[in-house]
Amino acid sequence: MRVGTDITSRLSDTVQPELGRIPMFIYSDPDVYQLELERIFGRAWLFVAHESELPAAGDFVVREMGEQSVIVGRGDDATVRVFLNSCRHRGMRLACEDFGSVEMWRCPYHGFSYGSKGEFLGTFIGAPYEHVAYPGGLDREALHLIEARVGTYRGLIFATWDDDAQPLEEFLGNVRWYLDLLFGRAEMEVVGVPQKWVIPCGWKLPAENFAADAYHTATAHAFLARLGMVDSVAFGRDGYHVDPGNGHGLGIGVHDDAGSYYPAELQAEYASRLDPAQLKMLGRVKNLHGNVFPNMSFLQPNFIEVDGRRVSGIMLRAWQPAGPGRVQVYSWHLVERNGPDWWKRLGRRMYVQTFGMSGMFDQDDTENWEAQTRNATTSLTRRDEVMLHYAMGLDGGPPIADFPGPGDVYDGKFSEAAGRTFYRTWLDLLLEEPQ
Amino acid sequence: MKLQVAAGSPPEVRVAVADFLVYEAELLDDRRFEDWLELFTPDITYEAPIRVTRKAPHPTIVDDISFFDENLHSLTLRVRRLRTDVAWAEDPPSHTRRFVTNIRTRPAEVEEELEVRSSLMLFRSRGDLGAYDLIVGDRHDRLRAVDGELRIARRRILFDQSSLGTKNLGVFL
Repeated sequence: MRVGTDITSRLSDTVQPELGRIPMFIYSDPDVYQLELERIFGRAWLFVAHESELPAAGDFVVREMGEQSVIVGRGDDATVRVFLNSCRHRGMRLACEDFGSVEMWRCPYHGFSYGSKGEFLGTFIGAPYEHVAYPGGLDREALHLIEARVGTYRGLIFATWDDDAQPLEEFLGNVRWYLDLLFGRAEMEVVGVPQKWVIPCGWKLPAENFAADAYHTATAHAFLARLGMVDSVAFGRDGYHVDPGNGHGLGIGVHDDAGSYYPAELQAEYASRLDPAQLKMLGRVKNLHGNVFPNMSFLQPNFIEVDGRRVSGIMLRAWQPAGPGRVQVYSWHLVERNGPDWWKRLGRRMYVQTFGMSGMFDQDDTENWEAQTRNATTSLTRRDEVMLHYAMGLDGGPPIADFPGPGDVYDGKFSEAAGRTFYRTWLDLLLEEPQ
Repeated sequence: MKLQVAAGSPPEVRVAVADFLVYEAELLDDRRFEDWLELFTPDITYEAPIRVTRKAPHPTIVDDISFFDENLHSLTLRVRRLRTDVAWAEDPPSHTRRFVTNIRTRPAEVEEELEVRSSLMLFRSRGDLGAYDLIVGDRHDRLRAVDGELRIARRRILFDQSSLGTKNLGVFL
């Protein structure tokens, strides 16, 4: 059943999320990866940018959807659009920088130019020759840039190539209630630009880690307790594990101290944007991590003391696939636009020191993901399938009944329920033939 | 020789600065992190802003956010972490070699201080298959003479990649 077996048969035979069994080959298999590009990144809603990165008409950032370069731009009508970063004439990249601001996209190859709504304008530099080169004229409609469907939620911009995809709000579903706690509680803004780097690992490993792995913190990040920065490793357990459905997943760490850890100056803005149950939950949050399927992760790290004050700096991540065992990481830091200066300054420092590329937490995670990916390639040629263990929580209690937020919510963060749903969603998409 | 002195710093100063930076690289490559911390003044700021790819003439450095945003306290914490038995990313340690070149020294506006710019190439190898990463950057240091010894009062590292090709920054530069 192994070598030479059709990839979809092997997947349907061996990926058993409900039994807590996942075969190791899926971390790095090139055939699986090709299917993922086509059937997940080719049609799912994908996070591409935050609205604060595009404050003015003409502003753009260059991002990826799967391996495809896209332009996320704010048009002269203030609408955000997403275009394939590719000229309709010969496929040359139109935007060759990380971000910028332009009035039109002009291809550096033959001058084919496009307005901010993606409309073909003409071949500008060569304009005097255009009627000579094309005496019959150019079909302007046919030369419109290839455009993705765009949706936004709480400032988060998503795009999909699938015109028939369910509406973004429906796809996000229950995870919206929790995204509100991080991205909807106040007017949020990206600080500067994302850090960008490459990790030699499959994209699913970091995604599932953020969705459903609270258990690793006690070991992978043991230095926290070792250096006395937290009282015990219990910070990884106290709280809730949430399986919101649709492949998303998250964990919420809570405290029972009197009062909120968040700045008093922001309480009024929080109260105006969150419903009372969300506001009450935010007051108890001391960390919150999760993943929006397939590859957008978010984190409010555990509050720690920086320069004498208790702070936490929000992180947003995109794990962009760049090959079967390669990810380009985008890591953004966001903060409340109306937050007090100390909160912004120390929150940024906390983010950089704990979870940026140099972050004391992040370092150890990357080591794990790389070595897992390397090991997975050995399972490509073994005759017997190497099955991995995803069963945490299968023998635990049912979801709790009285939690204020939606989805299946488990008491205590030690569960892999959302990880199993991640792989169920992933498998269903891979096995679904394109229309 | 007069022209050279007018344009920069006297040869003996330049030699002292070069020796100092090479000594610092030796401490890091030999993992003598506690000795390395001794090279900083108490008010050290150690930062690495983000390099971006932009069309000319736009600046290619963004300062609003960074890869490092450190003071002596946080650098000390990072070193203490490396000395635990759970600093997985650097245990076993990377094999590193730092090459410091293109050292340029000029007096700072403050007496007893120097502006020093250097190129750093860090070779980092972990594991097998002959794999290695190169981390290359432009360093801008402010050195201060403290009781006759050079100390680092400010370091700014500008990486020469807008997407870094090493899996983490578990190493000092």
